[in-house]
Amino acid sequence: MKLGYTIIYVKNVPETVVFYEAAFGLTQRFMHESTLYAEMETGDTVLSFSAEEVIELDGLAFAPNEKSAIPAGWEICFITEDVPAAFEKALAAGCSPVSKPHDVPWGQTISYVRDLNGCLVEIATPMNLEG
Amino acid sequence: MRLPDGYQERIYTPQQARSVEAVWRHEEQCAGRSLILPDGRCDVIVRYNADPDVVPRLVVTGPATQPYWVEFETGDRWIGVRLRPERGGVLWGDALGGAKDQVALGDEAEDLVPELAGLGVVGVPEAELRQALVRFVEGRALSPEGHRVGETVRRMHLTGGRFSVTELAARAACSTRHLNRLFGGTVGLSVKTYAALVQFHRALRLVCDAGGSLSDAAFEAGYADQVHMTRAMRRFGGFVPSDIPEGLIRPDVSGGLWGNRAA
Repeated sequence: MKLGYTIIYVKNVPETVVFYEAAFGLTQRFMHESTLYAEMETGDTVLSFSAEEVIELDGLAFAPNEKSAIPAGWEICFITEDVPAAFEKALAAGCSPVSKPHDVPWGQTISYVRDLNGCLVEIATPMNLEG
Repeated sequence: MRLPDGYQERIYTPQQARSVEAVWRHEEQCAGRSLILPDGRCDVIVRYNADPDVVPRLVVTGPATQPYWVEFETGDRWIGVRLRPERGGVLWGDALGGAKDQVALGDEAEDLVPELAGLGVVGVPEAELRQALVRFVEGRALSPEGHRVGETVRRMHLTGGRFSVTELAARAACSTRHLNRLFGGTVGLSVKTYAALVQFHRALRLVCDAGGSLSDAAFEAGYADQVHMTRAMRRFGGFVPSDIPEGLIRPDVSGGLWGNRAA
């Protein structure tokens, strides 16, 4: 097996796609005509968004992502060499700041925001595992 | 999903902007009876028969919380509009508070919705019945509380009824007392009862489809233990998890495909 998809359940798929394009510089690579599912261009491991209401058809249940609620215990992490610029761009697009860019002892610069749906997103420099 | 023969429905979208959740029709090929599971919704229905001499009868149901049996003859037909859960007041008005598990038939139904009294006569074609029901439901003004309750109903379905009333109230930015008042005035049930219905339907599905044991299903559905799941199934279905009736029609409470709903 290999990791194929990270699928985030959201209230509004097209709105989330537009937001991720503006806030994190991703591009959409697929949108189903129903607008209930979309994929971003993220290489072999796909980041995609699915409409929340389809889950009940499969008998799933979860705590929906909402800006006013506590975020779920996981995150999406984007890698860039210029964390401050990416952080500012994310805020300008409507992300809420959680932790501004700062250096950590293991050598990375990291920051945290929450996206339009309240999901936790980290923006960080790449980790140098050989260093 | 198990749907009976002769059953068809059309889901209306986008859901939250409308009062109609689905328009459905059903026809029985032979006499018998069916167990109808409660779904917490109100329906407005015309029940008639393939025999054109049988006088059609108007039926208005309140939000159901108990299982009930419906008996039918060969050729019995129903055409119905199922309302979104938070739109019960469209049919019951101020009487919604006392509408739980009530079914208004004939004259009683016509008193609730006098605009539809003209449908209880022989010879009205099915397309006209359908059009009249939809037009009536969509034409009635929505209560201003509907949107907030609609959002809460949505959260209840996403979580399989597992959010507490406190969590639901927090997410709706109001007190539990206020949320219950809003629910009583729009759904006609308490928040807790509606959540318990959603949890029951999901548990039923888990027992039938998840591929695990009864205790696995009880755990995933969010019951404290299997005893609590059994209690819920007795209350809402009239059966126990180890003895689910064969051929049971399981409605899909998400507003997708639904089971037979008739009175």
